[in-house]
Amino acid sequence: MRDELSRAASRVLIATLALAISAGCNVNRAHNDHQRQQILQNYFSSDPQTFNPILVTDLISGRILERVFDPLIQVNNKTTLPEPGIAESWNISPDERTVTFHLRHNVRWFDGQAVTAHDVLFTLAVIYDPKVPNSVRPGLLIDGKAIVADAPDDYTVVMHLPRPFAPLLYSAGIQVIPAHILEPIWKAGNFNHTWGINTPPSEIIGDGAYKLTQYVQGQFVRLERNDDYWMKDEHGEQLPRLHGYVSLIITDSNATYLRYLYGQLDVYSPRPEEVLDIRDKIKQGRLHAQLKDIGIDTGESFFCFNRNPRHYTKDGHTDPKLKWFTDLNFLKAVAHLIDKKAIIDLVEHGLAAPAVSDVSPENKLFYNPNLKDYDYDPQLAAQILESAGYHMVNGRRVDPQGNPIEFNLMTSTGSPEADQICAIFKQDLENPAIGMKVNYQPLEFTTLVEKVDGSFDWDCVMMGLTGSIDPNDGSNFYRSSGNLHLWDPNQPKPATPWEAEIDRLMDEGAVEMDEQKRVPYYWLIQQILHDQLAVIQITRRKVFASWVNTLQDYQPTVWGLYKPEWMYFKND
Amino acid sequence: MNVPALVNPELQVAAVPAAAQRSLAREWRLASRTVRVSAGCLTLFYMFAAVSPFFASYDPIYQNRRMPDCPPMQLHLSAPSYWSHGLLWTDPLTMSDAEARTYVADTSHRIYIHFFSGGHLFTTDSETEPFYLLGSDSLGRDLYSRIVYGARVSMCVGLVGVLITFSLGIVVGSLSGYVGGLTDNLIMRWSEIEMSLPSFYFLLALAAIIPPGIGAAERFLMIVAIMSFIGWAGLARVIRGMASSVRSNPYVEAARALGGSRWRIITQHVIPSVIGYAIVAATLSIPGFILGESALSLLGLGIQEPTPSWGNLLSEAMDPQNLARYPWILIPGIFIFLTVMSFNFLGDHLRDRFDPSNAR
Repeated sequence: MRDELSRAASRVLIATLALAISAGCNVNRAHNDHQRQQILQNYFSSDPQTFNPILVTDLISGRILERVFDPLIQVNNKTTLPEPGIAESWNISPDERTVTFHLRHNVRWFDGQAVTAHDVLFTLAVIYDPKVPNSVRPGLLIDGKAIVADAPDDYTVVMHLPRPFAPLLYSAGIQVIPAHILEPIWKAGNFNHTWGINTPPSEIIGDGAYKLTQYVQGQFVRLERNDDYWMKDEHGEQLPRLHGYVSLIITDSNATYLRYLYGQLDVYSPRPEEVLDIRDKIKQGRLHAQLKDIGIDTGESFFCFNRNPRHYTKDGHTDPKLKWFTDLNFLKAVAHLIDKKAIIDLVEHGLAAPAVSDVSPENKLFYNPNLKDYDYDPQLAAQILESAGYHMVNGRRVDPQGNPIEFNLMTSTGSPEADQICAIFKQDLENPAIGMKVNYQPLEFTTLVEKVDGSFDWDCVMMGLTGSIDPNDGSNFYRSSGNLHLWDPNQPKPATPWEAEIDRLMDEGAVEMDEQKRVPYYWLIQQILHDQLAVIQITRRKVFASWVNTLQDYQPTVWGLYKPEWMYFKND
Repeated sequence: MNVPALVNPELQVAAVPAAAQRSLAREWRLASRTVRVSAGCLTLFYMFAAVSPFFASYDPIYQNRRMPDCPPMQLHLSAPSYWSHGLLWTDPLTMSDAEARTYVADTSHRIYIHFFSGGHLFTTDSETEPFYLLGSDSLGRDLYSRIVYGARVSMCVGLVGVLITFSLGIVVGSLSGYVGGLTDNLIMRWSEIEMSLPSFYFLLALAAIIPPGIGAAERFLMIVAIMSFIGWAGLARVIRGMASSVRSNPYVEAARALGGSRWRIITQHVIPSVIGYAIVAATLSIPGFILGESALSLLGLGIQEPTPSWGNLLSEAMDPQNLARYPWILIPGIFIFLTVMSFNFLGDHLRDRFDPSNAR
């Protein structure tokens, strides 16, 4: 979940966020010791899966490691433009095929060794190693080819591109790993088992603003300031200002909110129904905190039908479901049956907007505002079904071959919100005029993910994906070969003409160097996904952030924190 | 303990109907006011379960999406000249703020409540202009109708559960007590193993393996079966003790001397002598089943949405923020409380009647 919102270099699956709750408690917000000591207490909803920045697939590990490892280039979360990281500057050759990065001379690993061009080259070699499974690679392949890099000196990296590649500066946000420690391990073929969560934290050698100092499974992660960090503020004072983080691992969203109210957490992302509660408590002086509306969710949440033929063919039989789920008329009828207004009022307490495109309106450059939503209209849906040959027989909707329409709907457990959205959806599909049957099955998030991208054993799923600033970072979702191309992942070649078209647009959009000229490609991709209903969008939430009054210069944005190194606690 | 008399069976049969009539009226006279109220509550709740469509005002799964978390509505008595429209009326409520879920009454027109109309005890003309006696839930479903339909699950779970537990407990207990020896030993050790399991965790574990795709009715039966499986051992042990003491009674020995088969002696002599206790124990164990189902449903492992049960209706009240803002979602808890208390009072009363030696 998002305690502090962050951006991933590739898309990551997320469970629909669980709603948390509050009690009418009188909060005595005395200054806590951890605030005096400049230690920020935040929270994670689950344990990290790895401490190896290359192997990260989950949000929590990414959140921890982005403080421990610095990227070559980082993205400014306020302007969404690339800005210097380990590389203090870069220049692009006139033919746009060579990019030269100049590294800072004062970046050091925690063990005192300098971070050099060799580390960057090593990191690239690991990412391109087919034996190392990682989600960074798809974004760094240009027409399926790797970027060739060399290092003329210790602090210069030159990347040679097969052809111009606009998203490079976003894709180059790779976290660099220390060659002097990991190269021998990688050469011995043990990289995939290195720096797991059981590694003693002192052995995790990074170069970021914080060191990992303690991890107790199911309890907390502790980070301590790296006193040798390269970043200084405008007065030449050492950054970061906070001395550390303690991230409590709290799986229960209810408990998380109560802990925030009782002063055990310093920052919090309230869910819609808590926003009002927090606002009231602040007004009544019972909570000394800030509440800010920071924008619209950058991710997406949707219903998706499984179109993977491998799931449906068994002993020479093809399940009729495959035919329904690839039938645009069926999907259109379903899209017209999603009562977004009800979901916004009932589930989101009015703090959301209908989602039309898979790109968030927060992505001002690439968001396509011209898509027309499928309005909630059960009558129209019934008409569409009738004219496509899906008739009512004995009160049940049957397909043209006479099979009654019935499918399983899965989502992750533990979220009353997802339960409610699915209850509304189920009710509309089972309404007597539509006559479908939906079997609702909430599953544990890990089980759900395993089914969706592992065993492909699912019919319809309601879940979410994180968003990205550059659409190319969504390659693993858009491209037919992507592992998060949910409805039919890892295709050897595109199964349908429109998927082939999206692949082509992705290729061409990445080559166009002028940002404004790239826009039409991605608008067209959004249009195709919208027309083909590969995923049926639901709603997008307004995002709020709340933090304690003593925390200064805390600047949350929908993409993540802006200048996190600058924030500190003001103690009186 | 009531001793089955060795009388002419024909005489006994003839005496039954008159005695039963007399005794029912007599029982009512003998019962205290508490017991009468309890019996009344239970009768009402079982009627809810038996004829839910009549008692409910609306379809329990109909979502009125413009009225989530609507508070219970106020009733007004019509002036006599309006009685042709309806005896009672209420102001329609409209949600004024989606974020805070506040409602304002629209005083420009009235919603009349009709009794015995459309096969319902009381209802309004349309589901979109409803009268919510007990408010609505977060999806805009009528809480009162859901409680009425929820009685089907919550009231039946006790009966079905007790039926299974007691058939098992009585048969196994009597057999074990009467036969004795190795059979007794094996059965009792097995029941001890079962009794030593921490029952709620065991219940959770078993509920978790129910396959997710099955229908509401099958799920209900499975949950009852699971709870019965846990509950029979305690009863079997007590019955076994009673049976082994009955075993040496003269009439049992007489039956044995006359060549009665084991099965006949168990069914004709042993079981009738323990049945009085069993009925009392059964009544007192029904609340356990009701609470067990509520707990499972509350945790999402029991009856699944949208089928209502008193337990899963309460799950919305697990959220303290909801509870503070919409306190009426706690009402299903009152129904559970009333049922449990009623069964306890009734059970106590039955024990006094069947087993006067234990009377306080």
